[in-house]
Amino acid sequence: MSHPSIVSEEEESREEIIGLLQGFSKGRENLIPILQTIQKRHSYVSGLAMKLVAEHLEISSSEVYGVATFYNQFRFHPPGRHQIRICLGTACHVVGGDIILENFERKLGIREGQTTPDREFSIERVACVGCCALAPVAIVDEATHGHMAPSRVEGIILGFQIEKERLEREKQAENSEEKELGENL
Amino acid sequence: MVRIVVDGREIFVDEGKSLLQGCLDHGIFIPNLCYLEDMEDPPGSCRMCFVEIEGMNQPVVSCKVEPKPDMVVNTSSSELLRLQRTSLRLLLSNHEAKCKACPSNRRCILQELVKRFGVRIRPRRYDHIDREVAEDIEHPLLQIVHSRCILCGKCVHVCQRQYGSPILTYARRGIDTIITAFGDVEAMYALCETCLACVEVCPVSALLLREPSGAIEIPADGSPEATIPCGGATP
Amino acid sequence: MKLAGVDEAIVRHRQLVDRARRRRAEMEHRELPRIEIGMATCGLAAGAGATKEAFEEACAVNGLHFSINPVGCLGHCYAEPLVVIHNPGFPPICYHNVTPGKAKALVKAFLQEGDPLYEFVLGAMEENDLIPAVTDFPRFHLEKRVVMERCGVINPEAIDEYLAGGGYSGLLKAIQVSPDAVIEEIIQSGLRGRGGAGFPTGRKWRLARDAGGSHKFIICNADEGDPGAYMDRTLLESNPHQLLEGMVIAAYAIGADRGIVYVRAEYPLAVERMRTAIRQAVEYGLLGKGILGTDLDFECTLFEGSGAFVCGEETALIESLEGKRGMPRHRPPYPVQKGFRSLPTVINNVKTLSSIPHILKHGARWYSGIGSPASPGTAIFSVVGKVVHPGLVEIAMGTTLRTLIFDICGGVPNHRRFKAVQIGGPSGGCLPESFLDTPIDFDSLTKAGAMMGSGGIVVMDEDDCIVDVTRYFLDFTQKESCGKCTFCRIGTLHLLNGLHRMTRGEGRDTDMEMLRTLSEEIKEGSLCGLGKTAPNPVLTTLKYFPEEYEAHVAEKRCPSMRCRALTAFYIDLDLCARGCDACVGSCPVEAIFTTVSRKKAIDQAKCVKCGECVSACPPEYNAVLKVSPPQLAPVVERPKEE
Repeated sequence: MSHPSIVSEEEESREEIIGLLQGFSKGRENLIPILQTIQKRHSYVSGLAMKLVAEHLEISSSEVYGVATFYNQFRFHPPGRHQIRICLGTACHVVGGDIILENFERKLGIREGQTTPDREFSIERVACVGCCALAPVAIVDEATHGHMAPSRVEGIILGFQIEKERLEREKQAENSEEKELGENL
Repeated sequence: MVRIVVDGREIFVDEGKSLLQGCLDHGIFIPNLCYLEDMEDPPGSCRMCFVEIEGMNQPVVSCKVEPKPDMVVNTSSSELLRLQRTSLRLLLSNHEAKCKACPSNRRCILQELVKRFGVRIRPRRYDHIDREVAEDIEHPLLQIVHSRCILCGKCVHVCQRQYGSPILTYARRGIDTIITAFGDVEAMYALCETCLACVEVCPVSALLLREPSGAIEIPADGSPEATIPCGGATP
Repeated sequence: MKLAGVDEAIVRHRQLVDRARRRRAEMEHRELPRIEIGMATCGLAAGAGATKEAFEEACAVNGLHFSINPVGCLGHCYAEPLVVIHNPGFPPICYHNVTPGKAKALVKAFLQEGDPLYEFVLGAMEENDLIPAVTDFPRFHLEKRVVMERCGVINPEAIDEYLAGGGYSGLLKAIQVSPDAVIEEIIQSGLRGRGGAGFPTGRKWRLARDAGGSHKFIICNADEGDPGAYMDRTLLESNPHQLLEGMVIAAYAIGADRGIVYVRAEYPLAVERMRTAIRQAVEYGLLGKGILGTDLDFECTLFEGSGAFVCGEETALIESLEGKRGMPRHRPPYPVQKGFRSLPTVINNVKTLSSIPHILKHGARWYSGIGSPASPGTAIFSVVGKVVHPGLVEIAMGTTLRTLIFDICGGVPNHRRFKAVQIGGPSGGCLPESFLDTPIDFDSLTKAGAMMGSGGIVVMDEDDCIVDVTRYFLDFTQKESCGKCTFCRIGTLHLLNGLHRMTRGEGRDTDMEMLRTLSEEIKEGSLCGLGKTAPNPVLTTLKYFPEEYEAHVAEKRCPSMRCRALTAFYIDLDLCARGCDACVGSCPVEAIFTTVSRKKAIDQAKCVKCGECVSACPPEYNAVLKVSPPQLAPVVERPKEE
């Protein structure tokens, strides 16, 4: 929670979270639904958010923190732009889901639960996505990849990188065009 | 008053009290780690206070039993001993027993139980599990020595009793569970400065005052210098 | 004591059903082709969304009129995306694995030209002279569908479809008799809780009814956390009103005025469909104040569980509803006496509550006639792992494991040998082949050392390592332990570490004994059901497969060659083809190099043992071999680089 860009993002979210909180009464029973709403909106629950929730519910920040860290659902750091979720349900395990996870970890140089330094990718393990007939399964952003194989891992990541480079090139081209245009004028 | 028979001895315990408290009141020792007398609903989490009750097919934790008239209770058997020893060994396997450097040395509940049950302070049966923890926020006054903490929860209980919504809390889950605090550091300082009930109640010196603490007064409690090391006694 | 306004309720229900049937008749009367696509999570994951778009596009291009009805899940996961086409003049035909390409072909050939494309057909949904019906398959005729009867048949987002099939008539039957009579009916039916433990549902309701007080809760536990079991999710996604009807009946019987459906947040589609169902039921007067014009008030909300397996335990579930850490409480007091907000609370599983409407509709005697005397009714299992046809199966209790695995699910694929079956998920047990003729019911399974549990069944073949699978389940329960009590928090980690050591070839002579005694003690000493059942996989596998453990510990060998630290891959130089490069590109870590003989070899230090090279090696060579222990692999030196 110390990265400067993240801190400023957190501050920006302050007003919005206070707004979200107005939709909930002050009962303790609302704690988990509130945290879920915040995560849905901001994709993670920041330290500031927990403090604001505590103020709203008139309980200590510690209690909010204690509850939030208990549940798998809550993230405390912003996830990557592309989320890779590896199913490690029973059916996926018996056909080598862990090998798929390992390959993603190796390729991206991060462990499950982490985000790459450029905040491009994050890896999460999920208990079961419920398409056991397709095992092993990886879900990349919204797309389900069934019958995964280690050799397909590289292709998936490469696909995103190529796409990113293409976008950057286009942007650069646009910029230089604009520049040229500006110079010509 | 309820009449019960414990280890062949007839005792009369107060109604509304737990079996554990009833026994303790009569000088019958049942090992316990997470229980305090003023707890309305003891957590029953340390799994030490097992007893056998006639008519029940397996051992039960006595802190959660309400004495019934003519209940026949047994507090020591090989079966109970086995469970209590395992429970103790498991706790010890997750506790850093550097006793010499510990302010609780020689007044420590774990040392007492180790002697009583004849187990080693560093059990051979189980490998040691480290409790290395990075906290998100450091409490300005309290140093929480996670490697000593046995998660009995007494500190959370006294904190809750003091403030309703406690400053100390359980956080995370499973083997990663810790006692910690989160929030505004200044507010914590202001609230905790005058209380420190948690430091007092911790049976294993897992909660210490941070140094240098200079200005902070130690609550009067018999032997403060032994409970709260004012400088220099960190492991 | 009779409910006021029952006569009014009968009339209102009649009106609702009539209207729903009229609407359905209109739809069927239009003589247009109707396409039903299974759009539950499993279908969507397999690409049902793209299939639906392909149908729409193909029909638009060809100028055809038709209707598409998104339905729930039939349970045939192996065949997803599954499509049923009602084409006037033909029986309804079921197609399996319908890709967008197949969809386009079907529109052209079947809808336009009247050729049903037999090669894609799974079967007809009803008996006819043209196409063999699906009921001829063992998968269909050995099942006994009660709770799943309408799953995959109706549109779960349309309350009218549920009503048109006689929906909410169980509720109507219930309110015509006294609450006590409803409870008596459930007791007579012999229904036992489908959450795993099998406590008689009627007795639980009786206790709650007798608990007194003016406010009570009925909570549906849909916090299905077993990795690999998804029957609750399917029921919510495919027939949410069946559950709601069961909840209203339960509320009437025990005198509850509020209900909560506790669904895992990881089931977004189930959450959405359940919310839709609640909204519709309120609109139709089947939920809320004065249900169907009677004095019965019952408000129902939905709560999203935040992902903690332990919250399936009822006291932990209540803690989390109250906004706390989901740590179980000591029982007694039981929730039926002191539950949510300290009020009497009945917590029932999705399958239990979904069975209720059927019992009311057809009577206790009908229900107790299904299944075995001590465990009446049906059970739903998700059968995954090494079977030909994985998916959801509903069978009468008392069916044997052999029938379930070999007849209904098609047995073990690829001519491999069956080894074991894990029943009841992480809290269950692992049974060997000699138990295949065990009837599936609460008591027989418990006797065998397994349990009904969540209903997850994993079939393992000779390639699966028992120690590794046990480690997998322990890894799960250890991670999901709430950390409250000593035995579960620390004990399960010692179990897991012991198993880890074994799979890495570091097992100690004392480890098997340690696993056995510690497991027994965790079972005895833990506070809640999670801890008490967590050692089950260890205990059953130690009992039935001791030789696998011994091989791991004593010989550092994995008999099924699954534990990666105990196996090695190597390339047989006699089989390898000179100059062939097929395996090189498949290796994710560049561990394969070319030997001086221009054949390939594996650098054992680099190899991560993923097995990609095995699949890459052309079948005519099959040169990549696997051995255990790893020392058996011949060492080939990498040629010095020049």
